Amino acid sequence: MTTTLSLEAELARLIVDALHLETAPEEIDPEAPLFGEGLGLDSIDALEIALAVSKRYGFQLRSDDERNHRIFGSLRALSAHIETHRTG
Amino acid sequence: MPAEALLPLTARAPGEVLFHRGAEPVTAGRFLAEAAALAARLPVEGPVLNFCADRYLALLGFAAALMRGQVTLLSADRSAPRLADIARLHGARYALSDTDVALPLPVLRPEATPGAEAPNPLIPAGAVAAIAFTSGSTGEPQPHAKPWGALVAGARAAAARFAVAPGTSIVGTIPAQHMYGFETTLMLPLQGVGAGHAGPVFYPSDIAEALAALPAPRLLVTTPLQLRALLGTGIALPPLAAVISATAPLAESLAAEAEAAFGVPVLEIYGATEAGSVASRRTVEGEAWRPYPGVAFDIGAQAAQAIVPGLPAPVPLADVLEDLDEGRFRLLGRRGDMVKLAGKRASLAGLTRILTTLPGVEDGVFLAPPDLDGNPQARLAAAVVAPGLTAAAVVAALRYRVEHAFLPRPLLLLPELPRDAVGKLRREDLLRLARRG
Repeated sequence: MTTTLSLEAELARLIVDALHLETAPEEIDPEAPLFGEGLGLDSIDALEIALAVSKRYGFQLRSDDERNHRIFGSLRALSAHIETHRTG
Repeated sequence: MPAEALLPLTARAPGEVLFHRGAEPVTAGRFLAEAAALAARLPVEGPVLNFCADRYLALLGFAAALMRGQVTLLSADRSAPRLADIARLHGARYALSDTDVALPLPVLRPEATPGAEAPNPLIPAGAVAAIAFTSGSTGEPQPHAKPWGALVAGARAAAARFAVAPGTSIVGTIPAQHMYGFETTLMLPLQGVGAGHAGPVFYPSDIAEALAALPAPRLLVTTPLQLRALLGTGIALPPLAAVISATAPLAESLAAEAEAAFGVPVLEIYGATEAGSVASRRTVEGEAWRPYPGVAFDIGAQAAQAIVPGLPAPVPLADVLEDLDEGRFRLLGRRGDMVKLAGKRASLAGLTRILTTLPGVEDGVFLAPPDLDGNPQARLAAAVVAPGLTAAAVVAALRYRVEHAFLPRPLLLLPELPRDAVGKLRREDLLRLARRG
């Protein structure tokens, strides 16, 4: 559980830095949608996050059939996805 | 070409591969049969709003609508409010989609079901086959009608310009409903050469996997942002025949890096939703653009227009052009207050108008940072006077009115805007505000 929480915090920092967001990392609601309503990210941001994640965690995000970017559903969902797939 | 000229739905022979659905090749003959089967199941009246993410289904829906004489409305923006706007303003009777979106009209899920052998119908060149949309200065979607003849001429010109070899696999990363994606990944296989890839393809790993699963030669049709992500992740791609980029200016340094990494020419398309693709260049060879075969430019000091085969009138362009030798031209910059992000154009004045009509907003202005054209990460900024509202609340209200790529980042809340004695905002003050972002 501690690992998950710290990965979540680390990821929040990564997203804020990669996207030059004004939000503080700790202000990102881990359960809120990253796209649209919540943090308001868009497809340009999705590519930036994919790039940052590949550099930091050594694995590639992909579309598969998740056309609505399901793994980008929330910070928590993305964090869990990275936890499962990370190599770095 | 005369408007009454009849042009077949596909220029491909029945046995040629038109598309790849996963590992499964689809011939032109099978495509026609499946399109006819779908056409028979469509509602009686169009227009049809087609926002299928799967490129093959998008093409099938478009072809089936053509067979029924129905116009297809293309929206690259798949957000429900935008789709509902287009449907309402342009009289869509139903939608075709492979994803679930709640809209105030029937949404049908197209399927590729085998059908009896079907003829290759002839379509009048002057018939409006599709309508593409841009954001107008009021924020409402502006329609741009695409006669069938213009779409066919564009596809043939692209096939000739890029010397696409028979059997080329075409992997695209742009939505099929974006004009650039529509032309290069649907119309090019339908009327020119090569076989499309159904997708979805968005992230670098998607691109690598899609290319690896398809036979050579392989053509990658993408954007500067995705090229940057591909190079940034360092992901390996199978051998390519060429890379085509559009939607935003491609930096020469990025083009050179991509050419070195992939060992092929990186070609860039110049176009606009209104005109379609109208010119191209190999970015590393310099700033001169060559008009597409059959396209002419009328270049004045303040404005330029493109004369495009199949379109009824010259198309004004949003950029300032300079005439070079042999019909070539150079881009001098954006005209007026037009900005472009994520392949979509908007006017700052139009965005500002939307901003200032939001409830609770007393004054406001959208600002473009000076590096907007050169920095792929650059965003618009906004300065707003809205006592009692938070920045987040203003952004949330804007989200329903403007395309997400244009949402201001940052949005500065100010007690008042720096207006001069006659109420005008001074350019220097605005730039200073924009830089604070």
